[in-house]
Amino acid sequence: MKVEFTPEQEALRTELRAYFNELMTPELRIECDRDMGEGGGPLWREALLKMGRDGWIGVGWPKELGGRGMSPIEQFIFVEEIMRAGYPFPFLTTESVGPQLAEHGNEWQKANIVPKILTGECLIAIGYSEPGAGTDLARLKTTAVKEGDEWVINGQKMWTSLAHFCDYVWLACRTDQNAEKPHRGISMFLVPTSDPGWSSTPVVTLGGVRTNATYYDNIRVTDDALVGELNKGWKLITGQLNRERLSLVNCGPTQQLFNGVVKWAEETELPEGGRLIDQPWVQMNLAKVRAGVEALKLVCYKQAWAMTEGTLDMADASAAKVYGSEFFIEVYRALGEVMEQMSLVSEHSPNAEQHASRVERLYRTASIITFGGGTNEIQRDIISAAGLWMPRATR
Amino acid sequence: MNFGFSEEQRDVQNLARQIFTDLVSPETLKASDDYAAERFDEALWGKLAEAGLLGVAIDEAYGGMGFGFMELGLLVEEVGRSIAPAPVIPALVSGALPIQKFGSDEQKQRLLPGVVSGKTLLTAALMEKFNENPASPKLTSAVAKDGGYSVSGTKLCVPFAHRAERMIVSAKTEGGVVVLLVDPKAQGVTLNEMKVTTFEPQYEVVLKDVAVAADDVLAQADEGASVMQWLAECTTAALCTHQVGVTDCAMRMTASYTAERKQFGVPIATFQAVGHRAANCFIDVECLRLNAYQAVSRLANGLSATNEVQIAKIWAGDVGHRVSYASQHLHGGMGIDRDYPLWRYCTWMRHNEMMLGSSAKNLAALGKRVAAGEAYCQ
Repeated sequence: MKVEFTPEQEALRTELRAYFNELMTPELRIECDRDMGEGGGPLWREALLKMGRDGWIGVGWPKELGGRGMSPIEQFIFVEEIMRAGYPFPFLTTESVGPQLAEHGNEWQKANIVPKILTGECLIAIGYSEPGAGTDLARLKTTAVKEGDEWVINGQKMWTSLAHFCDYVWLACRTDQNAEKPHRGISMFLVPTSDPGWSSTPVVTLGGVRTNATYYDNIRVTDDALVGELNKGWKLITGQLNRERLSLVNCGPTQQLFNGVVKWAEETELPEGGRLIDQPWVQMNLAKVRAGVEALKLVCYKQAWAMTEGTLDMADASAAKVYGSEFFIEVYRALGEVMEQMSLVSEHSPNAEQHASRVERLYRTASIITFGGGTNEIQRDIISAAGLWMPRATR
Repeated sequence: MNFGFSEEQRDVQNLARQIFTDLVSPETLKASDDYAAERFDEALWGKLAEAGLLGVAIDEAYGGMGFGFMELGLLVEEVGRSIAPAPVIPALVSGALPIQKFGSDEQKQRLLPGVVSGKTLLTAALMEKFNENPASPKLTSAVAKDGGYSVSGTKLCVPFAHRAERMIVSAKTEGGVVVLLVDPKAQGVTLNEMKVTTFEPQYEVVLKDVAVAADDVLAQADEGASVMQWLAECTTAALCTHQVGVTDCAMRMTASYTAERKQFGVPIATFQAVGHRAANCFIDVECLRLNAYQAVSRLANGLSATNEVQIAKIWAGDVGHRVSYASQHLHGGMGIDRDYPLWRYCTWMRHNEMMLGSSAKNLAALGKRVAAGEAYCQ
């Protein structure tokens, strides 16, 4: 029982912090802010290519697949540092889909896609949800039908984030209408967004972030586009979601925000005199956040440690996701209260204050991960079943 | 970074769990309900001594196992899981640890071997009315006398004072806080029984010009406050690990109950509202567990732990409260029946919530540290 990093892990953190400090030029920061922390701009692409050249893409991939073979704890440090730096790293491409392609992809994918992911030249969006298939994903209706040597793909996807600047969509399609169970008739395809049958319309969200509805109209691909075995896509989907969850809750940015607000409250004078931070209610809010973020830190570290040891418990992983996603919302509320009206002033306003305007935006974006990345109802189902051995209702 | 247990730690856990499983049951606990009998199981205490567990954190020189506070914390967690009638926190944490760390050779030689063998019981008088900070006594004072001190004042909720060979008492003097080992049988000491929610034997200790010899001074005015601060942090961290055991057991009892209990033809656990309330408990208990372990492990390694202990206690209070009411609610009436074991757990969750400061009080204290720049995230 020891909650401290090893000297090697601390050295990695120092190295990464210095690297990202240099990478995040003021111009790149402005571009990332403009793109609502999503990336996709020219400077963002340039930085990604540099990271590819410097070997900072695929840190968690096994060495034999071209990665760095970092342990989950090291990956956690990587994620923490890159999130602190504020670079919108394309985790879905590099850490979720990439390793699956490197492992389960066919010869064409291994020769043409995988190397480009590692150099930062290929970006992939995820196409799972549909208007009628969300949490019950196995009901998806987008089809891929074999005609001669080709697959013909038709359907519509929702929440295809980043697709407007990605090269491919990692697309879940129904390939067997008569499968005994719906999830046994699903296959994964890599569909190029350059195809004339592909289109997207933006969906602008509460947080200002753009996501997309994407449409697939008689897109024709060959077997090169099929990932893994036919009708065995479900395993790839669940494998990807487990990896995605790792990067959803991370304590680094919240710790940094907390420290920033504390410092700000120390320096802020009240009109009637005295410091804001000496107000009892301010101290109460800050203490609540401080106590909560400590738990988040421990939950995250334990998860990274358990993954490194190969002992990650399903219930613990779900508990981390639920706790983190719901805690973030409380953090933004509590810190927003401390900064009063300024926490409603947007960063685009000339008199915005740094931490307050960040909270203005974060408060609007925070709800996404309570339902995204596997909705918290499903996570709680997993916790009561896997963690407490409670029987589940059949659905 | 290591969240695992060493082989020795697992041995301590397993040994303790085995003894409590064998010797503690709803029937044995029932004996002391409503103070019908004293809530102290001598046979169990003897068994813990025989297994060496009373000396788990005592140096081998005094007959102990020579492990540290982490291993003692794991023993305390098992006491919580079984709510065993065994005063492990007062005797081994609040009583023995400070004597081992700050006591003279003579004091250690005199008191610690008896602690290990189970013959000597120690306790500490940590609270006064409206004062839960033993490092800053308000209602107890001492004056130098005959090389020792004469002490007067009143302490509240002192566990097992009637059985203790010595109780640790902090008192203010002109020069600062002194820490004294007071014999509860000494002249001038009055023990008034207090009947509390857990049925633990507790006393109001009234001290009137009690003479404490030089041999029984644990810390002089120059270091008394820091000794008491350390003692209070260790005791608070131990209350948190006790709470881990209590809440974990209550939660699992509840999960099992809902898996058996049927309504509308199905186990009530299959209703999402039920499953989710239990899942909230699971998340809560995990947060408490990690914070409690962190606090204990930092204290065990001699690191500063004031923030971590306060945070753990906030979680212990909140989680105890929430798990208690969720468990009762999900038992739908069964839980309040005194023939079913849950209700005793609820009283101990309440005990751990309130002892040495509630969540609100600890939040306020942590908030002060935040404002003083002492609680930035690392």
